[in-house]
Amino acid sequence: MHRRRVIAMPKLSSHLKILATAVLGGLALAGCGNSDSADGETTGEPQSGGTLTYASGDAEPDCLDPHYGGNYPQGLIATQYLETLFTKDEDGQTIPWLAETSEVSDDGLTHTISVTDGITFHDDTPLTSEAIKANIEHLQDPETASSTGFLAVEKVEEVEIVDELTADLHLSAPDNALEESLSMHWTAIQSPEALARDVQENCADPVGTGPFMFDSWEREQQVNLVRNDDYVLPVESDRETDQAYLDGITWRMIPEAATRYAALQSGEVDVIDNAQPDTIQSAEDANIGHLDSPRPGAANRLELNSSQAPFDDVLVREAFMRSVDVDGGIEALYFDTAPRSHSLLSSVEPLGYSDESLFTQDVEQANELLDDAGWTERDDDDVRMKDGERLEIVMPVSTNQSVPAEQSLFEQFQSQSAEVGFDMQINLLDLSSWYAALGEHNYDLVSAPYTKVGPSVLRILYHSDSIEPAPSGYFANNAQVNIPELDETLVQAEETTDDDERAELYEQAQRTVLEDHYVLPLYDQQNHFLYSADVQNMGDTSAIAAPEYYNVWLDQ
Amino acid sequence: MRVVSWLARRVGAAAILLWIVATVIFIAIRMIPGDPAEAIMGGPGSQASAEALEAAREQYHLNEPLLVQYALYLGQLITGDLGTSYAQQRPVAQIMAEMLPATLQLTLISLVIAWLIAFLMAAVAARSNRIGQAMGTVIEVVAAAVPHFWLGAMLIIIFSTWLGWLPSVDTGTVQGIILPALTLAIPLSGFLAQLMRDSLVTAMSSPFALAARARGASEGQVFFRHGFRHAALPALNLTGWAVATSISGAVVVEEVFARPGLGRSLLGAVLSRDMPMVTGIALFSALIYMVVMLIVEAIEAIINPAAARGDDA
Repeated sequence: MHRRRVIAMPKLSSHLKILATAVLGGLALAGCGNSDSADGETTGEPQSGGTLTYASGDAEPDCLDPHYGGNYPQGLIATQYLETLFTKDEDGQTIPWLAETSEVSDDGLTHTISVTDGITFHDDTPLTSEAIKANIEHLQDPETASSTGFLAVEKVEEVEIVDELTADLHLSAPDNALEESLSMHWTAIQSPEALARDVQENCADPVGTGPFMFDSWEREQQVNLVRNDDYVLPVESDRETDQAYLDGITWRMIPEAATRYAALQSGEVDVIDNAQPDTIQSAEDANIGHLDSPRPGAANRLELNSSQAPFDDVLVREAFMRSVDVDGGIEALYFDTAPRSHSLLSSVEPLGYSDESLFTQDVEQANELLDDAGWTERDDDDVRMKDGERLEIVMPVSTNQSVPAEQSLFEQFQSQSAEVGFDMQINLLDLSSWYAALGEHNYDLVSAPYTKVGPSVLRILYHSDSIEPAPSGYFANNAQVNIPELDETLVQAEETTDDDERAELYEQAQRTVLEDHYVLPLYDQQNHFLYSADVQNMGDTSAIAAPEYYNVWLDQ
Repeated sequence: MRVVSWLARRVGAAAILLWIVATVIFIAIRMIPGDPAEAIMGGPGSQASAEALEAAREQYHLNEPLLVQYALYLGQLITGDLGTSYAQQRPVAQIMAEMLPATLQLTLISLVIAWLIAFLMAAVAARSNRIGQAMGTVIEVVAAAVPHFWLGAMLIIIFSTWLGWLPSVDTGTVQGIILPALTLAIPLSGFLAQLMRDSLVTAMSSPFALAARARGASEGQVFFRHGFRHAALPALNLTGWAVATSISGAVVVEEVFARPGLGRSLLGAVLSRDMPMVTGIALFSALIYMVVMLIVEAIEAIINPAAARGDDA
């Protein structure tokens, strides 16, 4: 079993505390220092049986096929019944999963992928190269209404069947991120027979190869998954059988955070997601396990809109960043659950580049920078002025994406930046209104999460092409970075077939964006799970950092 | 004949009210930010292709002028077609039919509980001394004022986390509905009790109660035959309003207790700009309100024919 294992316990003291209770001892040991394997360290031999109840705080997906749309909640649940061609190992390296081999032609334009023999879908359709073709075509079919998966396979022009197990993916331009893109569950491989059905039918009855199978869906209540007794693990392992230990998973929707935690405490559910900092802290004392699984792609960050005043001036951008106390705010509001990031990329991305010196708070320097930028006058409210304009910055905040702790952090920034003369206005908006505000360029700074596997997320976020809105008005380059040399670097970084050159180019790109103060990194995209003491062996995660329950068993 | 014309007037008024509700919803949804085509193609932040969005606009007539859209929308509603949910791509009527039983069950049980609590509170308060009455008033006001959200959370902490007696989330069992129903019922019972107590006190000291006592009726007989009947009327009058608040309260309660139902569907639909869903549920709530008012009016006419004829005084 080679999948990435993330068992993070935030502090050593918390390990010891949990260790002392001896119930989660095995897991705590695994979390200490060695994040590789917990085999043999759990409280006993794995037992088969029992249904795990999972409580999700996300909005219920409209469609259980993650090709459709493609948001994180869909990825979370699809991880249980669908598998991908590739995945990530514990070091963040891409490795084959349903694919057995993968080769790239010298010009980078053809990826030859063979699937593992002997695997069948839940509807008994065998996994062949036809499945690769059918899935890519499904993602590219406008009828599917795919966003995330569609972008991931954008460069694939044609899938050519070579033989029963092998297909050639012909690309319009080299794409060294293709395998990373195919490790995300938004591009997971589904039964070609199932995909041939109507889109909505497939949404309500997805068919994959995973260790669990879709059974039924009671809307607004739960999705029932059952064990796949014919599961074949695509890679070598020391497991006795290939079947999962759990009989099934009941995937409940419990939108309210307090209810979710109460249900975990009372034993009504076994695992909860979207755990908030205060809850995580109280869980530490309550014999409850904690899985911290930061999402890949971009770190959570403030993006400063450089296309319009006042943040079109690099001095003003830096002044804002120097005026706020990010570390203090995170410490006070997140209780050590979210380590500070100084990088554009998630800490799980091996190619992330970090520079702490750019972001230390320095109020005096902030004032000097604003003076230098010409914002020297002050109005009656002590807000700085220049040519009759007030130093006003607008921040639309999505209440769906920014949890209460994050909203409070932004309020702290508001009062801290006021000290040097900013008038920061926070607008709390629901998701649709928030996207609409961005579409209308009605923002000076914004926090917009972006999950994607691999550093190529940098091209999506900072290439000038991404300023151009999609037909829906959406655009990803919220900082509106527009530097031709950076564009070139990002394209080269994606097209090179040389790993060292790739790393170097991505570092160069990250330095440009960070040093020009377009972005204020905050912390990884938070993804916390809490689980009761009888859940054993929790910790495996997919490439998109969704927990997997293949190795999990219940100590009943 | 009078019944027929009364019914005809009521149905006519109901139709006009429904039309107003439908129009207000249509305007409101068009005014809030967010592209309906986006709601159809994968929700907010969709990166759907231009073709996909265009196809959606075409299919749902979103390219037509607003007035044409409005006419199409009304035409569809008149034939009883609530359309297809943008988000779920299933008929709105089907989704509502799936979700309705849970909400009805919750609302009805809450109403019964609210009536019971209100009656008990009013009865105790009406028969106690001044201090007791004052305390009763305080309890009623507090009960009426607590927000559903806070009350639900408190009930979960007490009965689920501390005592472990009841589940915090709906389980489809009898135990599962107790906390959500109480959350809806308690504020309602506060309102009802206030009304009932006032009329109860008045009735119990009224000439006909005195007369009954003089005839040798026991205090219990006076209470049930005269007092309660008088007290129930104003509270009954409030039942239409009570059903309406229960449905709006269901939005919060269903969310807090993770119960399926119309309230939760409505919240999701508003957030995802799922216009047909919002319209369907709002129209249905308006319809329920009107039907309940009709029934209440009929019951009042039976309990107190004089009042119904308008020659009470």
